Amino acid sequence: MKKKVITRRDFLRVAAMTPFAGAFASSLKAREKPSFDKARVVLIRDKSALISFNKPNPEVIQRMLDDAVAALLAEKDPLDAWRKLILPSDIVGIKSNVWHYIPTGSVIEQALKRRVMDAGVPEDRIGISDRGVRRNRVFQKATALINARPARTHHWSGMGTCLKNYITFARWLPSYHPDSCADLAKLWYLPQVKGKTRLNILIMLHPLFHGIGPHHFSRKYTWEYNGILVGQDPVAVDTTGLRILQAKRREFFGRERALQVPAKHIFLADTRHRLGVSDPNRIELIMLGWKEEILI
Amino acid sequence: MDNCSKQAKRDLGSLLPREMLGWRAEEKDHSYDFQTIFDYIDGAGEVYRSYNFKELVVRRFKKEGKPEIIMDFFDMGSSEDAFGVFTHDLEGEDAGIGQASTYKGGLLSFWKGPYFVSIYAEEETEETKDVLLNLGEAVASAIKEEGEKPALVALLSEQEVDIGKIHYFHNHMILNYHFFVADENILLLDQQTEAVLGRGIQEGKEYAILVVRYPEAKKVSQAYNSFVNIYMPDAVEPGLVQTEDMLWTASDIEDNLLVIIFNASSDIIAKEMIKKIKERIGRK
Repeated sequence: MKKKVITRRDFLRVAAMTPFAGAFASSLKAREKPSFDKARVVLIRDKSALISFNKPNPEVIQRMLDDAVAALLAEKDPLDAWRKLILPSDIVGIKSNVWHYIPTGSVIEQALKRRVMDAGVPEDRIGISDRGVRRNRVFQKATALINARPARTHHWSGMGTCLKNYITFARWLPSYHPDSCADLAKLWYLPQVKGKTRLNILIMLHPLFHGIGPHHFSRKYTWEYNGILVGQDPVAVDTTGLRILQAKRREFFGRERALQVPAKHIFLADTRHRLGVSDPNRIELIMLGWKEEILI
Repeated sequence: MDNCSKQAKRDLGSLLPREMLGWRAEEKDHSYDFQTIFDYIDGAGEVYRSYNFKELVVRRFKKEGKPEIIMDFFDMGSSEDAFGVFTHDLEGEDAGIGQASTYKGGLLSFWKGPYFVSIYAEEETEETKDVLLNLGEAVASAIKEEGEKPALVALLSEQEVDIGKIHYFHNHMILNYHFFVADENILLLDQQTEAVLGRGIQEGKEYAILVVRYPEAKKVSQAYNSFVNIYMPDAVEPGLVQTEDMLWTASDIEDNLLVIIFNASSDIIAKEMIKKIKERIGRK
């Protein structure tokens, strides 16, 4: 059957139903209800998570990740939770993000590596990489992936998400760019990735909620949220992060201001690619730590 | 790389200052081409590729204890594309530099001749703003010749649209960035087509005018048929439809140009706008 072209008029038809741009895509593309149950996401915040911009406090970050992973897996001891995620026999790739302005950063990378080692994986079977994942020998043999990146708005895809963080696994990046990167979820079905992700971490220590210029960055549009989102479902994690970014935009601009490009790839990851849950009603959000100005 | 290319690269760097108010350039510039731009600029590299850019030279300026300043100097190959890429992001105040400029949040952007320039301070302060503006003025002065805007821009009048907010572009991806029409390329846009998009307000409603120039008349007919068949299968007359928001979309062709009015408040207004633009095309 020939694919139906989605036009502006289709958006107008559903506009009366919801003002939430991303939900348009959901309304338009849904064929049937996804088969997932509720997805659990943990939001943890600590007022002292940052020493300064791009300089997290290592001890606080380790504690936040431990508490979040324990809550996610319903374990009292974080190490028990990590042992549920990672086996000693695993080969583990920690997929980082080196974007100059807000990178994942070594504090978070090392905190994750430490716990993977605590779960019994020797250091030589753990790799940390971003743009080199296709050539990295550990990633080439990886049995498990941990996906960690900062949350930010994105010029071309609407939002830099956990979903998007796997773009460097692609052979030819521009092939994922059409229609505002609508089908980024396809990355998750590449052989080097499929079924391997054990944990997604969307870092919200100082997210970027609006972008300008070629690099889509200005410190003016970041704020100290001091949070980290953790979950096993990347779609649910990204959906939650997007809600926080949109709330911040409402607060900052004093009105509903849609992202320059709708982050439709998050919703299509659910409704078109059936990778996870994008409906907030089907996301169990556990909130830990600092609650002030939580925006969700 | 042949000698001519090497020479061109040296010339590009020679347009940029090496020092400004105590900020000194790093010894080495970095340059990127059509293929390597994604190594430097994430997904937004797609924007510059959409405007056929030739080369990007990056120069970083440092001063101890102060925010770093990054100058991105794009050779777009033509003044039309330099203007076009400038119109991609028009947010900000006019800084009075080059042929048009904006300043916002520690970022100065301007175009002059075939060049688009973006200068960014990693942290915005009064001091860095001063440096950015001075750097911008120095680069703009070094570019001796001004360039022409795309001729297509003259088809839109300030009577109809906000002239300072016109977007000029080539392809479907950039059109959808500014004004979503369809997920598929139903207007058959490509790197050879030229388009202008302007917006105006009437009776409190925002409408949009899109004019596309195709390289040949045959292609404009194909694009028109594609658009009316997919976008207005319920047209009340050829090229005219009332959309779900009770506004009107009208479309017509003249020579090798396609004109579309989106969201007009009445069918009469939509047709009148089309008529005026066609008259202007006829006079060109």
